[in-house]
Amino acid sequence: MITLRIEKTSDWKEKFLKRLDDQEKWDSWLFYSMSYDIEKENLISDFHGLQALKHLPNLKPFDHQLEAAETVIEKMNGKAILADEVGLGKTIEAGLILKEYLVRGLVKKALILAPASLVNQWVDELNQKFHIPAIAYRKNYALNACQIVVMSIDMAKREAYRDQIYAEDFDLIIIDEAHKLKNHQTKNYQFVQNLKKKFCLLLTATPIQNNVFELFHLISLLKPGHLGNYESFQAAFKGNKQHDEAEEFLHELVNQVMVRNRRQDTEMEWTSRQVQVYPIQFTKEEQAAYERISNLKELSPIFSHSFSMITLQREMCSSKEATCLTLTKMKERCTNAEEIAEIDRVITQLMSLQHHSKAEKAYDIIKKANDKVIIFTEYEATQIYLQSYLYSKGITSVPFNGRFSKSKRDWMKQLFEQKAQVLIATESGSEGINLQFCSHVINYDLPWNPMKLEQRIGRVHRIGQDEDVYIYNLAVQNTIEDHILNLLYKKIGVFEKVVGELDDILSYVNKRQDVRKMNG
Amino acid sequence: MYPQKIHHYLQSFFKENDCPILSDHAHYLIVQLTVEMDKKMMNRPYYWQYIEATGDEPIPAQLTFITNKNELTEKITGEVIHAGSPRLSQIFSLMNEMGAVVRMYEVGKSGVETILTPWVIINYKVSYYSHQTKEFIYSLGMNLMTGEVLKDFQESLLTRSLQTEIPKHTFCLPYTIKPENAVDRLDAILENVIRKDDHTWAEEAKQRWEKEKMILDYFYEDTTDKPERYQIEQQALAEQYEANIQIDIINGGLFYLAACPS
Repeated sequence: MITLRIEKTSDWKEKFLKRLDDQEKWDSWLFYSMSYDIEKENLISDFHGLQALKHLPNLKPFDHQLEAAETVIEKMNGKAILADEVGLGKTIEAGLILKEYLVRGLVKKALILAPASLVNQWVDELNQKFHIPAIAYRKNYALNACQIVVMSIDMAKREAYRDQIYAEDFDLIIIDEAHKLKNHQTKNYQFVQNLKKKFCLLLTATPIQNNVFELFHLISLLKPGHLGNYESFQAAFKGNKQHDEAEEFLHELVNQVMVRNRRQDTEMEWTSRQVQVYPIQFTKEEQAAYERISNLKELSPIFSHSFSMITLQREMCSSKEATCLTLTKMKERCTNAEEIAEIDRVITQLMSLQHHSKAEKAYDIIKKANDKVIIFTEYEATQIYLQSYLYSKGITSVPFNGRFSKSKRDWMKQLFEQKAQVLIATESGSEGINLQFCSHVINYDLPWNPMKLEQRIGRVHRIGQDEDVYIYNLAVQNTIEDHILNLLYKKIGVFEKVVGELDDILSYVNKRQDVRKMNG
Repeated sequence: MYPQKIHHYLQSFFKENDCPILSDHAHYLIVQLTVEMDKKMMNRPYYWQYIEATGDEPIPAQLTFITNKNELTEKITGEVIHAGSPRLSQIFSLMNEMGAVVRMYEVGKSGVETILTPWVIINYKVSYYSHQTKEFIYSLGMNLMTGEVLKDFQESLLTRSLQTEIPKHTFCLPYTIKPENAVDRLDAILENVIRKDDHTWAEEAKQRWEKEKMILDYFYEDTTDKPERYQIEQQALAEQYEANIQIDIINGGLFYLAACPS
């Protein structure tokens, strides 16, 4: 027999006695009857089902959002990763869950940790759509007076706030953009690890970015032990070999704590996405320069470090400007006269090159698209080069990067929308900017992390996009980019096996289907 | 909760509190608050301090409530009231406070002498909660002459005509059980009912808790010095899955009734 704790509130009897003693007036019968009716109407008569909707008559959630909220509460007991694809409304799902727990009285205090740029958006949505009185935390607020608090994780982890937050005893923790916690050695990760998580939601469209260990660390924040401990997990997944069986098993376990909706599974209408890899052939001169750079590693220990070599090779696939910039920096570290002379010769050879083959391809695409185009590059030197190259061809462009201030970013976005044909963005520009008015994206350089591609595409392929979206992935053949492509295919394969299928990000027919076709 | 119903609740609330309704349209209301209601609803203690200190003429607020925004064609600005809106919650909680304890008398047939029996009636709200919740209402009444106890009492009152003053030609029996003792006895009876209820939900929560504890322990199996967060995680599991029961009293009171309700 289970022992049950029963708690009572008991100020009613006192009120009753005061009235019996004529110390106070008896209350209104009308209010008595109406209160009873209201209580009856709002009674939570079932352990199951969403009660929150009764309190949100103006919210019209999509079916997949309601199902997600119900699954998290009833099957996952309030600890889950919300991993819908970008643009399906993870915030709405989180809001529904928070509201449900508030209505049911299971959550009194909640903490939402979001990137600084999204804090106000969270506060607005919770207040306006869910009537949840959330506030953005500011310096000098008394934390214990706030029930529903939104703050940036970078602020929360600071010593000045950390201990206060730990002391607050929040019932529900929501973490937006949770893939930023993939590295368990960061301060952010450790901060969250030591936070009490009675209920906890991790929001990310990309729970794996590079490898399954990131997912392990994410789930170990949520439910330590769900994927075993680190030693057993490492034993199953270390090395580069295939882990087909283990990955399938992992997929099962992951599904117990993760909800993931895909665009095509929802009743929302989406324009289609055409993705293609465009192989590019270097000119003879470019290829020669590429080989010469690759041979530098024989010349000096400064170049033999594989990271520097890979950087140079990738830059060579992007622009000679980016390559020269790095070479010049490296030259400063050289002491040997012969080495310096060789670098100078390489730079001279680079400078004699005509326009980059990739830039020419990009120009072809822009001309053919005859529409607004976004170009993503990994290098600022390439960004500048492309801007002047396109200008020489009569195409207007604006630069964009994450270091721009908010007002400059807004200004650039506006220029792009109204005046320029092309926006050239570096990686850090790909977060938190929405450009639905554009439907062509050129991935000029390929990142190592496939989820960055998804992030970039998500800037245009989202609610409000009326056109089909065209993605052009450029890769130079017979260079490091072949290797990057292969790695991207492999990582996408792991993601699809463990997390679930992905919308196309790399090519229209993905590699796995390719292989199957070849075999069949 | 339908807009018409909310509209009706608001009308009744302000009328009962003597706040003049300046304009009563199907989809909106304009209400003049009294000083007392302004103090209760508007949360502006400094204004009232100032008025009391200076002796100035108080100007209680005038509020416009839009109860059905979708149907509204007129150009009206005001607070939009709907199920779940903070203002409505405030009004409901005020209603609850102002209707907590009543004393009522049943009105018999006119001209006929009636004998009324005293009852204590309490409306309880019981919540079962672990990682989930379920609520029940128990409306229990005790006859203060005989100690007889009846349930679902509130619903049976709906068929009776009640008023706050003793009607003419009516005799109220004295009570043999003191009302405060009746309260204690009803509390005890309810607790007994709850203990005998089916608590599979609590058993299941406990099993889940045990399972989660095992998973957690496995994570730290090879760690000899368990970090502080292990304790924090244990604590979180306890708060998530521990089965609890909460008893609240919605309202209740002393009722003089003609014949036993059955």
